[in-house]
Amino acid sequence: MSNIRLPKVTFWRMVVAVIFLVGAYAAYARFALGFEKSTHLADSQPWGLWVGLGTLCGVGISAGGFAIAAAVYLLGFERYRPVVRAAVLLSFLGYLSVIVGMMYELGLPWRIWHPIVMWNRRSVLFEVSWCVMLYTTVLSLEFSPSLVEKIPWVRLRDFYLKWHHQILIALVLIGAILSSLHQSFLGGLYLLAKGKVDPLWYSSYLPTLFYLSAVPAGLAATIMAVYLCNRSLSARVDPRLLSEMSQIIAPMLYVYALLRGIDLATHGAAGYLFRWREETLLFWCEIALFVIAPVFLLSQPKVRNNPNALYGTCALVVMGFMANRLNVSITAFQASSGFYYVPKWTEFALTLATVTASGVIFHYAVKHLEILPRSIPAKNWMTTHPAEA
Amino acid sequence: MSKSKAILIDITKCIGCLSCEAACKELHGFPQDPEPKLSPTAFTIVEQHGDRFVRRMCMNCQDPACASACLVGALKKTELGPVTYDSSKCIGCRYCLVACPFNVPRYQWAKLAPFVTKCDMCYARQAQGQPPACVEACPVQASIVGWRDEILEEAQRRILGESKYVKRIYGSEEVGGTSVFYISDIPFEKLGFTSVQSQPMPVLTANALGDIPTVVMVGGGLLAGLYWITNRRKLVALAEAEEAAGRSGNGKDPHHV
Repeated sequence: MSNIRLPKVTFWRMVVAVIFLVGAYAAYARFALGFEKSTHLADSQPWGLWVGLGTLCGVGISAGGFAIAAAVYLLGFERYRPVVRAAVLLSFLGYLSVIVGMMYELGLPWRIWHPIVMWNRRSVLFEVSWCVMLYTTVLSLEFSPSLVEKIPWVRLRDFYLKWHHQILIALVLIGAILSSLHQSFLGGLYLLAKGKVDPLWYSSYLPTLFYLSAVPAGLAATIMAVYLCNRSLSARVDPRLLSEMSQIIAPMLYVYALLRGIDLATHGAAGYLFRWREETLLFWCEIALFVIAPVFLLSQPKVRNNPNALYGTCALVVMGFMANRLNVSITAFQASSGFYYVPKWTEFALTLATVTASGVIFHYAVKHLEILPRSIPAKNWMTTHPAEA
Repeated sequence: MSKSKAILIDITKCIGCLSCEAACKELHGFPQDPEPKLSPTAFTIVEQHGDRFVRRMCMNCQDPACASACLVGALKKTELGPVTYDSSKCIGCRYCLVACPFNVPRYQWAKLAPFVTKCDMCYARQAQGQPPACVEACPVQASIVGWRDEILEEAQRRILGESKYVKRIYGSEEVGGTSVFYISDIPFEKLGFTSVQSQPMPVLTANALGDIPTVVMVGGGLLAGLYWITNRRKLVALAEAEEAAGRSGNGKDPHHV
C-alpha cells in the first residue's frame, strides 16, 4: 500500500480547482496572446476590471488590518486583540493579491520595480506605489510572528520575537499613516480625470471619500472573515465582539454619506441624482448597498446580535463598497468616452483566481498557524496563546 | 520656456490632402493606409467636420497632465516644447491615457510588450533645427512651426486681421496653454474640440500631494499622542494594582508570575 495520502475530493475543492484551471488559461491568454485577446480594454477605457476590482477594491477591503491594529496597539482597545492577527493576515493577503494583480494589469510587469529608482514626485500613482510597497513590507513584518513562532530553534525565535516586540508600536503607527495616505490617494488618482468622470462621482474630495469608505469596508470584510473562521475553521471568537465591531461601521457610513451628500449638492451634481440614465441607476444601487441598507440593518439589535444576519449585512457593505469603486473606475467614464466597457471573461477569471488563491492561503494559515483563538488546543509551542500575547 | 517651439494649425487653410498624415507615417515607418482616429500607427490624423478639416495631434501641453501622472517620469515636457516619451522607463500602467484631457495617448493593446504611443512634435528633428515632418509636408502652410511666442503673435495677427476668424486661439489658454494652437472660422465646439479647464491639469492633484506632510505630521502626532495616553493608563492601572496587592499583604508582585 502506498502511504501517500491523496487529498479528499470535496465540492469546494472542485470549485477551487476549476477556478484555478480557468484562471491559468486566462493567465496564458494575457501573457501569450496579449491585452487585445484577453481583455476588452481600449484607449478610451485604459483601466478596467483589474484596476477597478483588483486594485481599488483589493486595497480598500484590506483597510481592516491597519484600522484594527491601530485600535488595539495605539488606542488601547484591548478587547479586539483576538482578531488583530486575522485582520492583519487578511490585509497582508489583500495587498499581496493586489501586487500579483499588478503582474497582469501592467503592460510591462517585469518593470514593476522601476518606481523604486525612477521618481516622479508630482505623480499620485508614484506616491501610491511607494505607500503600497512600504505598507506591504510593514504588513509582512506585522504578520511575521505567526510564522516565526513556528520555528523550532528557540533562541532564534526568541531573538526575533523580542526584536519584533520592540518595533511593533512603530510599525503599527507607520502602517496607519501609510494606509491613510494611499487609501485616499487611490481616489486622488481620479482627480486628474476631471471632465471625464461623471459628476455623480467626480469630487475634489475624492481622496477623503475613498479613505472614509475604505475603513468601514475593511472592518466589514474582517468581520466576515472571522465569522467564516468561527463557522468552519473551529475558531472561537466571541460573536459579541463582532457585533461590537459592527457598531463602529454605521457611524462611519453616516459620516461618509454626509460628506458625499454635501459634496454632491455643493458642486452642482444634484441635478443628476434623479435622471433616468444608467449612471444614476448604478449610483443608487451603490448608495443603497453601501449606505442605506447597512445603516438601517446595523441599527437593529436583532441584526447586530445574530451572527448570520451580521455576516449578510457586512457582505452588503463590502458589495456596496465594490459598487462604488467600480462606478468610479468604469461607470463614471462611460458617458465621456462613449465606450461601453464590459470586461471580458478572462478578466473576471484572472481576478477571481487571484482572490481565490488569497482565500485558500487564508484558510490554511488559520488552520495551521495561531491566527485566531480556537477551540482545539494548539500543539505545544509556547506558554501563552500568541493571539492573546 | 520662452524659447520653445509651437505649431499653429489654421483650419481655414487646410485642404484635407493628408500629406501630414503620410509624412508622419513615413517618418515613423508605419503602413501608409489613412486611419480615422489617432492610433499607435497614426500620431496625427485629419478629421472632416462638414467642409472643414481638423488635424489632430498631441497638444504637447505646457504643463502636461500625462507627465504629472507618469509615476516613473517616462513622459517629460522638454525645454524645446515637445512632450517626449521615454519608452525605456514606461511600466505600462496607462495612467497617462486616463489623465490626458485631449485623449491623445494610445496604447499598443495588440502587442505582447505594449508601449504608449503619441506624437512628440518630432522632437529629434526639431532638436536638430528641422521642422516637424507634418509641418514640412503641408503644401498650403495650414500648419506652421516657430518659436512659441512668435507663433502666438502670428495667430493673434491672423484672427484680428481677418473678420472670418473666431476670436479665439485654441491652445493659448486651454489647460494652462499648449504647444499646438488652432485658429478657425467655425466655433471650436462644432469641430469636436473638447472644452477643458484653463488651469493646468496637474493643479488638480498638487493640492492632494501637498497634504502629505500634514497627514504625516498631524496623523503621526495624533496617533503617537493617543498611544502615549493608552500606555500611561496601562502603567497607572498596573501601579494601582500593585499598590492594592501590596496593601492586601501577600507581598507578591502581580506581574512577575
